[in-house]
Amino acid sequence: MKASRISMVSMGLVFALAGCATTSASDTATESGGSGSSESAEGVVTMWIDDNMVNPCFADVVGGSWTDQEIGLQIELKPQWDSLTKTAVAAGAGPDIIMTPGVSYTAEFAKAGALVPLDEYSDLYGWGASFAPWSMAMGVSDGTLYSLQGELETMVLWYNKTVFEENGIAAPTSTAELNQVADQLSGLGIQPFASGNVDWQGVNEWLLSSVWSAQGGSDNVYAALNGSGSFTSPSIVEATAQLTEWMQTGYIGGGLDRYYTTPIDDYLVQLAQGEAAMNIEGSWRFENIDQFFTEAGSEWDWVSFPTADGEPLFSIGTGSSWALNANGANPDAAAAVLDHVFDAATQAALVVQCGMSPSPITLDMADLSSIDDRQSRLYAEVAAAAESGSYGYLTWSFWGPKSNTYLVQEIENVWAGTMSETEFLAGLDAIFLEELEAGDVPPLPLR
Amino acid sequence: MLSLDYRQKMKVGAWGFVLPIILLHAFAIVIPAGAGIFYSFTSFSGIGEANWIGLENYSRLIGDESFHAALLNNLKWLLFFWTVPFSLAILAASLLAQVKRGAMLYRVVFFIPYVLPSVVVGSLWRFLLHPDDGLPGLASTLGIPGFELALLGRSETALWTVAFVDNWHYWGFLAAILLVAMQGVSKELYEAARLDGANYFHQLIHVTIPGIRPTLLFMFLMTGIWSFLVFDYVWVMTGGGPAGSSEVIGTFIYRTAFQNFEVGYAAAQGVAVASIAITILILFSLLRKRGWEI
Repeated sequence: MKASRISMVSMGLVFALAGCATTSASDTATESGGSGSSESAEGVVTMWIDDNMVNPCFADVVGGSWTDQEIGLQIELKPQWDSLTKTAVAAGAGPDIIMTPGVSYTAEFAKAGALVPLDEYSDLYGWGASFAPWSMAMGVSDGTLYSLQGELETMVLWYNKTVFEENGIAAPTSTAELNQVADQLSGLGIQPFASGNVDWQGVNEWLLSSVWSAQGGSDNVYAALNGSGSFTSPSIVEATAQLTEWMQTGYIGGGLDRYYTTPIDDYLVQLAQGEAAMNIEGSWRFENIDQFFTEAGSEWDWVSFPTADGEPLFSIGTGSSWALNANGANPDAAAAVLDHVFDAATQAALVVQCGMSPSPITLDMADLSSIDDRQSRLYAEVAAAAESGSYGYLTWSFWGPKSNTYLVQEIENVWAGTMSETEFLAGLDAIFLEELEAGDVPPLPLR
Repeated sequence: MLSLDYRQKMKVGAWGFVLPIILLHAFAIVIPAGAGIFYSFTSFSGIGEANWIGLENYSRLIGDESFHAALLNNLKWLLFFWTVPFSLAILAASLLAQVKRGAMLYRVVFFIPYVLPSVVVGSLWRFLLHPDDGLPGLASTLGIPGFELALLGRSETALWTVAFVDNWHYWGFLAAILLVAMQGVSKELYEAARLDGANYFHQLIHVTIPGIRPTLLFMFLMTGIWSFLVFDYVWVMTGGGPAGSSEVIGTFIYRTAFQNFEVGYAAAQGVAVASIAITILILFSLLRKRGWEI
């Protein structure tokens, strides 16, 4: 690994050369600096984030490194923070900095006039230079920048390296190899894929995102996303059918009934203990995969999700979207805090100390030298693949809200055998095209 | 004879006591209900402007198969809850009415599930019903066949399994209500029935149930309305899955409003469901007017 500046934005350089974007308290609180209430108040910038396992670390890193004595920073961890934020903003209140699960949420806020335009702040703080152009494009609505995207995400194939080595199995790189490996594992009495969606139905779209770009073809997905093609293209139908076959034969999760009832922690334990050998999941799993395998005394590793042609490809997207509340008392101060959140040093600290995924900004790999080699390898490989045009699209970043909900829900009817893949994808087409026409789909960078 | 002044003062005083709750009711129920009806005629996304679209949401509702499927699940839920918990509660209450020693202990034990939060109950049973780690797994380990199924993971059983859990939470409360009602039935009626040769079952059918009819029918009414409001157990245990098999109106409305950003359409769904509840109320009112004691 070179100690040079391998940057997340190198992916964006490819997009930049290609052209502009195409179209479109139970709570825990960390305070720094001054004090104030949870609603907006001068002198204090407020931020509401999800009350999950990682965010206390986020609050410590961001809050702890905020040193401005004139502006306080209050970070509150709230369960159901996204619903609370939406309700508060609709009522004319809410935190100064709005963090949402994705760009489709912030796009709704932007349409309603609830966000502060960020173009001037972008010029002031140089966000255009530090963020990958594709991620900047995602935050644009009606020609104005409204949000910055956080937590670069990509889907990979995690696997139990100990199980693979003990059985002389090589990590697959192509769809054909993946099927062979899955068959081989099944023959050994090992569940090929660990998975379960009882904690989060969105696991369905992790699987779809992976197979569609890697097996259906990222060019075909791109065509469907810009309206020039269709989700019913034969290769996407075939990729969906492949996923259905894995589901129905019990390769994923040990069977549909188990898939629908297995919590995330349980299937990670299965993976770590060797009851299952592979897991189709995103890069966020770096946060805690180690603790499962350390407890089980086995080794893990990952490869890019196997593609039809065997060439590495990474479906990319982001896990959060950040904006400024138009109801806020001091947008200048809030913008300064936002810049601090996305500062390279802060992002590097979040990766190193919290195991979080970095935002799609320029990072110096020297700042990440203490992280696991397997994690830094991911960032390098993602950048390299993107430079060669080998990237796909995560459904929660590039689909509109209705089509996203549709694909998460209705794919279960396909797995249940009550709907065909073609019917499912035709339905997706119809809803997606409506959203595309209404301007509800996040902007798509040109390929 | 009370003077007019005194009666007026009494009236004013009575209204004074009732006014705070009326204001609270207006603020917490009437105004939001009115807002919901208004939004049902708009394309409101939940934030920003609400654009008037007339009856478009309602005509969309008529053709929405997913909504119909969810409504059908609520009807199945209603059928379940009008039979299973009532059967259990009537039987338990009538037996408990005859227990002299330890009756309080039974009442407490039956009532405990009702005081637990629904999220706790749902999460607990989700674990207990896990095919490998829960009670089915234990049964399999002990060599008892037939428990390998993941009931919450199968379309055929998911809804009924969630209903079973909600029933486990609810029937004790219903039994406690009916027990109180049974204690108001005159003992002479039971004596007379025994003298006429009535056994326990005859007494239950011909004395107990007629004697508690007002309470019974009131609980039928409330259970009927509550069946269209179910949300928490379904959301916690299955999220409406698998494949929408346990989706009910409550979860469908939630998804429409907060995942699809279609609050206007969700409001129309809510108005439709409220209409069903109002229909049930009107039915009971009509029965009452015809002399039914409810």
